[in-house]
Amino acid sequence: MIKKLAYLVGGLTLLFGLWGFYDRFAYGHQNANYGSYVVWGLWVAMYLFFAGVAAGGFMVSTLDLLFGVKIFKGTGRIALWGSLVCLVAALISIGLDNGHLFRIWKVYLQGNPFSLLFQMVWGYTLFGAISVVALVLASRQPNNPWLKPVMAVGLVVSFFISGAVGALLGVNASRPFWHVGLFPVQFPVFSLASGVAMLLTALAFFGREDDENRPQQLWILSLTSVILLIVKLYFMWADYSQSMYGNVPMNVQAVRQVLFGEYWWAFWILQLLIGSLIPLVFLIQRKFATHNHWAGWMGILMLVGYAVARGLIIFPALTVPELEALVHAFSGPHLTFHYFPSLMEWAVTSGTIGIAILGFLFGSEKLNLFSNTPKEA
Amino acid sequence: MSEPKEAALLSKMASEVFAGMIAPALENAPLIQAAEDDVLAKEDVLVRMERELKRALEKSPAERRWVMVIDLRRCIGCHACTIGCVAENKLPPGVVYRPVLTEEIGKYPHVAYRFLPKPCLQCENAPCTPVCPVNATYTNEEGVIVVDYDQCIGCRACISACPYASRTFDFGVNYTDKTVDRLTMVLGSSEAGKYETAGTAFEYGERRERQQHHSPIGNVRKCHFCLHRIKVGILPACTTTCIGRATYFGDANDPDALVSELIAKPNVMRLKEELGTEPRVYYLL
Repeated sequence: MIKKLAYLVGGLTLLFGLWGFYDRFAYGHQNANYGSYVVWGLWVAMYLFFAGVAAGGFMVSTLDLLFGVKIFKGTGRIALWGSLVCLVAALISIGLDNGHLFRIWKVYLQGNPFSLLFQMVWGYTLFGAISVVALVLASRQPNNPWLKPVMAVGLVVSFFISGAVGALLGVNASRPFWHVGLFPVQFPVFSLASGVAMLLTALAFFGREDDENRPQQLWILSLTSVILLIVKLYFMWADYSQSMYGNVPMNVQAVRQVLFGEYWWAFWILQLLIGSLIPLVFLIQRKFATHNHWAGWMGILMLVGYAVARGLIIFPALTVPELEALVHAFSGPHLTFHYFPSLMEWAVTSGTIGIAILGFLFGSEKLNLFSNTPKEA
Repeated sequence: MSEPKEAALLSKMASEVFAGMIAPALENAPLIQAAEDDVLAKEDVLVRMERELKRALEKSPAERRWVMVIDLRRCIGCHACTIGCVAENKLPPGVVYRPVLTEEIGKYPHVAYRFLPKPCLQCENAPCTPVCPVNATYTNEEGVIVVDYDQCIGCRACISACPYASRTFDFGVNYTDKTVDRLTMVLGSSEAGKYETAGTAFEYGERRERQQHHSPIGNVRKCHFCLHRIKVGILPACTTTCIGRATYFGDANDPDALVSELIAKPNVMRLKEELGTEPRVYYLL
C-alpha cells in the first residue's frame, strides 16, 4: 500500500516537474523569483538538503559496510542507494540553478582550486564515484577486501562535502548570518541527522517484514534521530541567541526575518512544530518508534523539517539589504529583497523530488536492496 | 553679481526641497572663497580628466591604478549616471551597474535627501573573485574587476560574496518582451525587439547579439569602469554624464591627477572600510 502511494506521489510530482523542467530549459531563469539580491532560492536550498541526505546516507551506511555493527546488518546497501539517489537530486537542483549548466566542464578543466565551489564539484564527483563502487562491491562481492577501504575513504569524503557546504556559506564575511565559524562543523551533523531520518523512513516503509532486527533497528534509528534533532536545535539556539545578543544589525535582521518576518510560518510551523516537535514526541516512545507506519511518517516529517531548515539558512540572509537604501535604488525584474519561490521553481523542485522517489523505489526493487545479504537478491 | 545677491537669488529661486539639500553646504560658506578651491573654477574637470586619461594610457597597464572619486556634496540625485551607464552598456531590465542610493534624512522641517551613487567599488581585496569556481571574474592588470562572459557558469557565488551588491544577474528579460506588435510600425517585441537585441553594445570591446541561452544572458554582470571607453581615451559614461560634475575618474598612480588630489583630502571615505576590501571608489563628504 505504502509502496503504491509512494509510486503515485513520485509519478505526480514528476509529472508536475516536467512542466517546470520545460520552462527552465525554454525560458532560462526568467520565471524564477530569486534575483540579483536574493540570489539563491529554493533550488539552492534543496541542493543543500539533498546533498546533506546524500552525505548523511553514506555516513549511516558505514555502520553496516565499514564498522560491521551487527544490528544494522543488511541496511548498508539501501542507505547507499538512498545516498546516491539524493546526490543525483542535489546535482539536478544545483545544476538547473546555474546560468550556464553546460559549461560545468570548465570547473574540471579550467577551474579555480581555491574556490570552495570548485572543491565541492570535485568532491561530489569523487563521492559519487565512491558510492557507485561501494554499492557495486557491497551488492556483488560483499567479501571483497576493497569494500572497507572504499567505505573508509567515502566516509571522509562525505564529511568533506557536507562541511564544505557550511564553509561555502561561512566564508561570506559580508553576510553575518552565514559568517559563523562553526558552520563547517555543524553541517556534517545536519547531514548525519538527515541521513538517519532517510534510513529510518526507508526501513520503516519498505524494510523486510520478516527481518527480526527491524524493530530494534527502527528504535535505535529513532533515538539517534531524536538526539541529532536536539543537537541541531541546540546549534540553532546558539546561533540565533548569540546573534540577537551580539546585536549586529544585518545579523539581527536576518534572525528576525526567520522568527517574526517573512518566513515565520516556515520556522514555527514547518520546521519546529511539524519537523521537530511532533517527531520528537512520537519517536521517543518505543511503540511508535518501532511501528512501521508511525516511524516512517515521522521520518518524513523530520526530512521536511530539515529541508525547510535549509531554506531558512539561505533566504533570510539574502533578504537583508547590504546597504539600506538599495531597496528603492533601482527598479526592475528580479531586483527585490522579498522572496517566495515561483510556480516554476516549485515545479522543478517537485520534479526533482519525483525523480528521487521513483529512483529510490525502482532501484531498491530492481537491485533487491532490502534483502539481508546480497545472496538473497 | 555680488556675493549677497547670489545668495539671495539662490534662496529666492530654489524650491524648499532644493534649498533643504543645498542649505547646509551654503551655510557660513563664502561663495567667492569656495570658487577658488573649486576644481571647476579653472577648467571643466572633464577636460582635465580627459587630458590625464590620455597621459595615463601612455603608461603600461600595470602602472595604472584606475580609481573613481564621487563628491557626495555635488551629487544632486539626478540619476543621469545610472541612465548613462544603462545606455552605454545597453543594460536589460533588472541589470544595473550604477544605481544611486537615495535616502531621506532628518525630520520636518530639517529634511534633506542624501544620494550615494554606487558603481562596482573595484576592491583591491575583492571578496567576489576568489569564490568563482572557473576564474571567470578576476582583477585585470589595471586593477579593474571584470567578468569573462564566455567563462562564467552563472552560479552567482560572486553576487553572494559582494558586500556592496554591485553585481546583478542577467535573467534574459528584455524591455520589449510581451509588448504588442503593430504591423508597419516599429513597435512590439518582434519589430522593436530587433533593435533591443542587436549587438550594438561594446562591453569589454565585444559585440554581442542578445539571444536566449547565450552570454551575457545567464551571466553575472557588473560595472567595469567602461574599460572599452577608457581604452580609446574616453572617460566612463557615468563620469561624462554627471551634470553636477560629482564623479571623477583617473589614474591614482599619477601624482598630478585630479583623483590623486581628491583622495588625499581629509573628507574622503570608502564604503564598509571595516571589511578590509580596500575599494578603489572613494567618496568625498
